[in-house]
Order: sequence, then C-alpha cells, then structure tokens
Amino acid sequence: MKSRLAIALVLGAMTLGAGVALAGPADDAIKGRQGCMKANGGAMGVFVPMVKGEKPYDAAAVATAIGKMEAACAGWAQWWGADTKAGETLKTRAKPEIWSDTAGFEAAGGAYGSGFAAVKTSTDEASFKAAFGKLGASCGGCHEKFRGPEQQ
Amino acid sequence: MHLRSILSKRNFMALVVLALLGLVGFWVITIPKPLSEADLPQHVPDVANGERMYNVGGCHSCHVPGPELTGVDAALPAGGTALKTPVGVLYPPNLTPDPETGLGLWTDVQFINAMQKGISHRGEHLIPAFPYTSYAHMRVEDVLDIKAYLATLAPVKNAAKAHEVFALPIVRRGLGLWKIVGFDETKWLADPAQTAGWNRGSYLVNGPGHCNECHTPRNLFMASDTSKFLAGGPHPEGKGKVPSLRGLVERARYKDVKDLVSAFQFGEAMGYDKMSSGGMGRVQANLAKLPETDVLAIAEYLTSLK
Repeated sequence: MKSRLAIALVLGAMTLGAGVALAGPADDAIKGRQGCMKANGGAMGVFVPMVKGEKPYDAAAVATAIGKMEAACAGWAQWWGADTKAGETLKTRAKPEIWSDTAGFEAAGGAYGSGFAAVKTSTDEASFKAAFGKLGASCGGCHEKFRGPEQQ
Repeated sequence: MHLRSILSKRNFMALVVLALLGLVGFWVITIPKPLSEADLPQHVPDVANGERMYNVGGCHSCHVPGPELTGVDAALPAGGTALKTPVGVLYPPNLTPDPETGLGLWTDVQFINAMQKGISHRGEHLIPAFPYTSYAHMRVEDVLDIKAYLATLAPVKNAAKAHEVFALPIVRRGLGLWKIVGFDETKWLADPAQTAGWNRGSYLVNGPGHCNECHTPRNLFMASDTSKFLAGGPHPEGKGKVPSLRGLVERARYKDVKDLVSAFQFGEAMGYDKMSSGGMGRVQANLAKLPETDVLAIAEYLTSLK
C-alpha cells in the first residue's frame, strides 16, 4: 500500500517536472549578463555622486567599484552566443538586433570597454570625470538600440 | 418558401437601398472637416518658442532621416525612417522647408489642420501614429511657432516613401469613424487650483509632449483609456511594456522631483537607466534641450500623479 503511494507520488512529480522547463546554458549566460549589469549599476551609484559633486572624489572607492565590475563581467565575451536570444527559464530584454546588427553591437560594446578602461586608468578627479563621461554615454548608447522595453 | 419570400424582388431592392444609404451615411460622417484661413488667430511667430515646442514634441524622433539619406545632417527632420505600427509600416514625411518634398509651400492653415485636426494637405484623414490627438490640445499659437521654426531649417530633398498599409485609402476614410470615438479635440485648460509650474507641466505633457500616446493604454477602439491615464500599458512595438508615470516617487522610480529633473536632463549618462530603452532615450535627449524651468514643470506635474 505504502509503496503504491510512493510510486504514484513519483509518477506525479515526473509528470509535473516534464511540464516545467529546466535551466540551461542560455540561462547561465543571461544570469551572467544580468549580474554584470547589476554590478555596473552599483558602480554608477558610486561614480555619479562624485561626478555631480554631491560627494568628494575618492580614488579608492572608484578602484573598488571598478574591481567589482571587472569581477562580475569577466565572462562577457562568452555571454552573447546566438543560442542566448531567449533563456530556458529566464526572461531577457536583449533585443534580436544584437544578433542581426553584430557590427553595431560590437561598436556599442567597444565604447563601453574603452569607457571602462578610461575610468580604470584615471588618476585624479579631472581625469576621472572626463573618463566617466565616456563610460556613462556608452550605457545609453547600447541600451537605446539593443535593450528592449521593460517586461510585463 | 420562406427563403423565396425573403429574397423576393421587393426585399432585395430594399436591401440594396439600405446598403446604399449605409455607404452614403459612412461617406457623409467620415468627410474630413478642415479649418479655414479665417479660423486662425492673428499671430506673430516666435521661432525660439517654436524650437522649444518642437523639442517637447520630439518631432525629430520619428521624422529622423532614413538610412538611405547619406550626407544629410542627421539632426534635420527629413523623414524616411520606417516606423513599425499595428496597422503597418509608416514612413514619417519630410518636415524640412524643401518646396517639393517638404513643408516649404505649406500654408499656416494646412499646418494647423495636419497638427490639430489630423487632416493632410490633400484633405485626407491622417493616421494617428502622428499624435495630432495630443497636439489638438495645444494653443494654436504654439503650433504656428513650430511651423515658423521648421521654416528656419536647411531644406532637404526627400520624398517620403508610401506607407505600407493594407487598403490605405479605405483605412484613411475609416479614420473618420475612429475620430468620433478616439479623437478628443478639446483645448488644454489650466487648473486654477494648481501652481503655475504644475499647469505648465500639464500643458507640456498633455499637449506637445504627447506622453499619453504611449503611457496610457488603449481600449478596444484604439482610443486612450482615460480611466488608466498615464498608468502604463503594453509597448506599441509589441514586446514588453511602457511603464506607468503614476506614483513615480512612491514606487521609488525616482527619489523626488529634483531626481526626475536630473533624469530628464542627463538620462543614462548619469545612470538613469530607465530613460534609455523602448524609445525613451530619444525622448529624453529632446527633453534635455529644454530650459530647466520647463523640465522642472514637467517633473512637478508628473510626480503629482498618484
């Protein structure tokens, strides 16, 4: 009696499981992208008050934020394969233009990369602010074209 | 036997007459009714104000030069970039003062009829992807100022491609019916209980700014659902949503009025990442050109919507 119940439960769980998509490689890439963007957003929260003059320039805080971006975005080059247009379970705002206009997407990514490098190598308040201008502009430069509207 | 009596010659004639009456009725109620020269006020145009209204309206965002217009200043509203809409692909026309392909020969009343009555210079109904439904609420003088500003731009020769819409002439005529339910032509009115800044913001948002066109969902008749005014809805391009503009501070989208002003002025260049995607990036870039008093007015009005 007990074993029958167990079998029924296992069978029931299997039927349920079959209807639910499982996480896969596209999910991993999307998770990586979103983690990187989250770190970038966090870094903006450190940079912007300094640029606006609401907080004093703090080279150590800039370096820490840059380090976090670097760590979270290390896998960038592997996250944009053609099989990552949609996740197995995760939703993404990545637009199909990323894969149809690869030159445009790479240019936008390049602007982000060089803005990042400029902030990383900045040495004082003036060079930081100048570098931040490039980095900040690169966010919208990519998101206008290649990130879709907010999700429902 | 029944069938035969229904299809009797007499009944058939009656049906034909009814159908004809229906067609005539459709024809009559869908006749475009443009304004005439005499309806316009005397007005000395203010080009600077026209430029401001042009930027609030973000005219350039849709009338941006098409990809084939190489060598043309991309800042000019020469038109030709495809605009995907639920009715088909539209090609917004050339707003530069070229006499053949732009607005160079347009009269004031033609311009007002297009902007505020949704009637083209050829006398046809315009597809409301062109937001005359909002521009109708504007002061006529502000609209005339936009025309005067456009006349100062460098002319570009660019004939807009024909819209790719199935049965376009019938659709255009049918818009006469749609206008009865979907087109509110009332002029914007100030609310004396509110501040001057709030009223300025209300005018800019609901008139030239036409925020309502995307941020208010549409009902079955594709008219703005006024019960959900600026409460967000599905994105017109199909995927995702347009966010609500109500409770912007309460929902922690922005810290306060000042933060929203900053977002309009700097956009994502200062980390305001909600201002860049879904078409809002171009809107923000245009709003950033406004004097701070106008941006503040818009922010004051929007943050008052709970």
